[in-house]
Amino acid sequence: MSSASNINKRKGVKLEVRDPMSFANKFIVLILSIFTGLFISFVILILSGVSGSALWKEFVVYIVTSEKNLSSVLIQASPFVVAGLAAAVAFRARFWNIGIEGQMIFGAIAATYIAINDVGPEPTRLLLMFIAAGFGGVFWILLPAFLKIKLDVNEIISTLLMNYIAFNFLLHLLYGSWRDPSTGFPNSEQYDVSEILPLLGWQSLNFSSVIAVLLVIILFWLFMSSRFGFVLNVLHASSDMARYTGIRVSLVILIVTIVSGFLSGICGFLVSAGIESRMTQSFFIGFGFSGILISFLARDNPIGILVVSLLFATLVIGGQSLQVFYQIPFAMVQLMQAIIVMCVASSEFFIRYRLIFSF
Amino acid sequence: MDFLIYWLSNVPGFATPFALGVLGMIICERSGVLNLGAEGFVLVGAMSGAGVLISVGDLPLFALVIAGLSGSLFGLLFGFLVTILRVNQVIAGLIMVFLAQGLTSLLSRNMDWVNKPFEGLSKLNTGIFSEIPIIGPIIFQQDLLVYCTLLFYWVAFYFLYRTSIGLRLRAVGENPEAVDAAGGDVILLRLLAVIIGTFFLGLAGGYFTVVVSKIWVDGISGGRGWIIIALVIFARWQLSRALLGAVIFGCIEALIPRLAAIGFQLPQYFVLMMPYAITLLVMVWSNLNPKNIKATPSSLGRPFLREERH
Amino acid sequence: MVKINQNYKIKMEKITKSFGDFLALDDVTFNLDHGEVHSLLGENGAGKSSLMNVLSGIYAPDHGAISIDGKVVKINGPSDARFLGIGMVHQHFRLVKSFNALDNIALTINQTSYYSEKDNLRHKILKKMDEIGFDLDLDSPVGLLSVAEQQRVEILKVLIAGASIIILDEPTAVLTDEEAKGFFKIIRFLASSGTSVVLVTHKLKEAKEFSDKISVLRNGKLVDTIIPGKLDDEALIKLIVGEVFAEKPQLSKNFGEEKIVISDLNLHRSNHAMGLTNINFKIHEGEIYGIAGVGGNGQAELSTVLMGLTKLNSGSIKLAGYGDITKFRTDQRRKCGLVFIPADRQKYALAGELSVADNYAVASILRGDLGSWMGVKKLGKQQSILEAIAEFNIYGVQRLNQNAALLSGGNAQKLVIAREFSSKPSVVIAHSPSRGLDLKAAAFVHKQLLTARDGGAAVLLLSEDLDEIMLLSDTIGVINRGRITAEFSSPADRQIIGKAMVN
Repeated sequence: MSSASNINKRKGVKLEVRDPMSFANKFIVLILSIFTGLFISFVILILSGVSGSALWKEFVVYIVTSEKNLSSVLIQASPFVVAGLAAAVAFRARFWNIGIEGQMIFGAIAATYIAINDVGPEPTRLLLMFIAAGFGGVFWILLPAFLKIKLDVNEIISTLLMNYIAFNFLLHLLYGSWRDPSTGFPNSEQYDVSEILPLLGWQSLNFSSVIAVLLVIILFWLFMSSRFGFVLNVLHASSDMARYTGIRVSLVILIVTIVSGFLSGICGFLVSAGIESRMTQSFFIGFGFSGILISFLARDNPIGILVVSLLFATLVIGGQSLQVFYQIPFAMVQLMQAIIVMCVASSEFFIRYRLIFSF
Repeated sequence: MDFLIYWLSNVPGFATPFALGVLGMIICERSGVLNLGAEGFVLVGAMSGAGVLISVGDLPLFALVIAGLSGSLFGLLFGFLVTILRVNQVIAGLIMVFLAQGLTSLLSRNMDWVNKPFEGLSKLNTGIFSEIPIIGPIIFQQDLLVYCTLLFYWVAFYFLYRTSIGLRLRAVGENPEAVDAAGGDVILLRLLAVIIGTFFLGLAGGYFTVVVSKIWVDGISGGRGWIIIALVIFARWQLSRALLGAVIFGCIEALIPRLAAIGFQLPQYFVLMMPYAITLLVMVWSNLNPKNIKATPSSLGRPFLREERH
Repeated sequence: MVKINQNYKIKMEKITKSFGDFLALDDVTFNLDHGEVHSLLGENGAGKSSLMNVLSGIYAPDHGAISIDGKVVKINGPSDARFLGIGMVHQHFRLVKSFNALDNIALTINQTSYYSEKDNLRHKILKKMDEIGFDLDLDSPVGLLSVAEQQRVEILKVLIAGASIIILDEPTAVLTDEEAKGFFKIIRFLASSGTSVVLVTHKLKEAKEFSDKISVLRNGKLVDTIIPGKLDDEALIKLIVGEVFAEKPQLSKNFGEEKIVISDLNLHRSNHAMGLTNINFKIHEGEIYGIAGVGGNGQAELSTVLMGLTKLNSGSIKLAGYGDITKFRTDQRRKCGLVFIPADRQKYALAGELSVADNYAVASILRGDLGSWMGVKKLGKQQSILEAIAEFNIYGVQRLNQNAALLSGGNAQKLVIAREFSSKPSVVIAHSPSRGLDLKAAAFVHKQLLTARDGGAAVLLLSEDLDEIMLLSDTIGVINRGRITAEFSSPADRQIIGKAMVN
């Protein structure tokens, strides 16, 4: 309890809600906080024994000056974009899909099944793999979606648990019937040429970039212009109001989860048919989580997702070099992503509130 | 019979980290702070515990204390984000997980702690008691932390239900405005709850390395933080049900390796996915009962700001 | 220490408080005597709550001084206010619903040890209750107590903490006439034993009947402080609103066909909802059917059942031209012309973080107007929205893409009504449509309901405000514990309806 003496003093920090900030100012705050995050990350890297000039070279110079590295960034960005879109769609309806990784695994499993069993004629093989991957992802999100709609089971935890189940199922396949017969390694046999996304003719850039850009355009239209996008806006802002105005909330959530699962499956397909050319066990680690962070940084905006994905892909390519040349564990990339997101999330405080110091 | 005794004697070891973790989650979430970062705090605790044993020396109890404290230290960052900066609690929780995964991996590589086996904490020698048939192995052949956990539960119960500050902490999770009007400091109470709660999450993590695996590798918690979150829902944020849930889960986890021993053959990776599948079932079962949804602290996940005008 | 007027318990001098550009309190001077009941009257946003929030330490004033018993004090937060003996009972109770009354009171007072002093506290509370004639169960969760009982817990909290100044914010808004009478008996008793009471209200009747002084606030300024009885109602209203103003009942001239017929409606009682039992009534075209009742007797459930938001257990709803619509979903019912003004507009009728345009357009867009499924038209400059805003006198809209959260209560409600009436409604369900609105905004809402009625709609008006029901309804049903217990044709006797509400 305060004593009488300090009643007469007035000190401390008070918070006040700010008037809404202009778009330009918000953007400046966003950029500043991303740079703050990069700065903190680089300090950590320097403390881990990487010199500042090496960082500059690995993350900027080598990427801008080498066509090969630039194309690696673009290739790496495609699955990030699609994972980001998958997260964004679900978040628009306040469905926290943390299970993108599991859905990617099932997407890739479905695509790989088509590939190793040579289902369908060769010219349509990739299309078939694409569709199968999408439905593989949908298959893996349906249970959490159903549990959310019918029983209000927390989707964050259910989708996450499904990741672990999917991953163990993948290991079961790769250490079992799908093990590569020629090498004995725990990954599937390599896809045939007709099962790998075709090159575009510049460096190793392939068709996955086209798919990613097309999906960005489609989702941009869906969010910004279509009637369904408007419904999503309403649902995002207030599910109570949505229900009261006659929006069929459960149906919308179902559609959204199906779209999100489909995109996640496609993302798995882009990794297996666009980067690895086979089904492996380790390459999924991080895509799902990154997708969530990308979507958050981009405020669920498809164009923003494209931009942030390029940033994240740069971090990955730079991180891979650090791993090779400086033995920095690859988890550093995840750490950098988390630090950037933490800075951006914190910056919202300064967008919303004004601090008033009085001494 | 031997099967049963062997099985049951393994239960406390499996149940304890869950019991500790759920205890931490309950203290944290009773104050209204939604903590989805459990997996992260568990990882940080696990690595710190291992780190102490490798770099400082064979001091398992000290290692466990450090595991808890590093959980709290990391929890302080989380608390700062959600109570003071009012970052969305879902996002903040996920950030903590990613951050912990990256940080533990990097730090353990820099400190050269990866894949280094150590002594860890062994079972307590209770002499004559452990010789008692049946209950000897089940009750008296456990490590110290198993018994401490029961003590922690008793202390936590006393703290939450018998002290003024515990009363306020529970009230903050239900109606922060009421506590504010009563002159309580909502932010401080929540920070306190986060720091205490993450101590136990860190301790649970420490248990995984110091007592169970006696080695550190990246991502050793393998999703158990998420299982802890699911168990909190099952426990309806009540200590007694938390202990029950941890024991049930401990029984299941202890049974899985036993099944193979008695000739019950299941593909290896299906065995490994069982805890997650069972957790999912527990969540479904929990939500079939509407009481659980009612038990959620009313202000869970809702930030508090007094000066806000509506 | 500056000595001011020793005679006053509290002197608030030249208090100014602004939020951004908005001046909530403008140079307000307010004095409170020992042992008096002092009413604060004023429209919404006039500054009553702001002034009391300053006194109870929730807001820090920009300028001005407060003195208690002649000593200048600084109130730096609610705990300082409590230390100075100021206790506030908020309109929205600050109770922990899952705690019992004892724990809720224990929360307010600073004890070193909660558990060991529990018995002590119980005795203290029982003694206090005995003194003022309270009856209360201290051991069941307060969430299960009636609103009147919850209010008693709030008052006890303040008294046990040792308050000598009590601020009551709209204390009777949730009480029945009967409960309010008992409430004021206790307030007068407290005043006679030396406690100073501030009564924030917008009910003229109780201010005149139960207080020693009345201060009127308007637009953040204190207009006058008067002795009740010195001014008649008309003059008082003029003081509050700034002009003479009164609404008169206008009964419907022509009932049409039966529009909606509700038969044998049943809804099982659940944890958080009152059940409905054998509800039967019908509304004609051009009729307002008012449902009177104390809050929480099934009004919310009835309205959501009719909109298809809550599934009913048995019964049927028939709508002229559509037949049986019992199985229809909400969107289908809206297509039949049902519209809804829910009681909690901020939660259910508006999305604060969406723009005014989006909030208005959601109905049109769902109907398929304003573009196709391929592309919704840009809403920012839509003529139809601008016209609606002009027609419904929604003030405070600078741009169509400003957030709806920035609208005041009255303007928010006008926006809801503008949207709901954007296509011609056949059935209007309005639950407490003027709750929390000031006189002018309420009159506007009432006019809209009458216009809809005269346009041939069937209007169901559910309200806890009996004056509103009496003013607008052509037929009055009384709801009590989920049943329609009586039905009257207007004009009906207020006393008899009031009795039916509580029996």
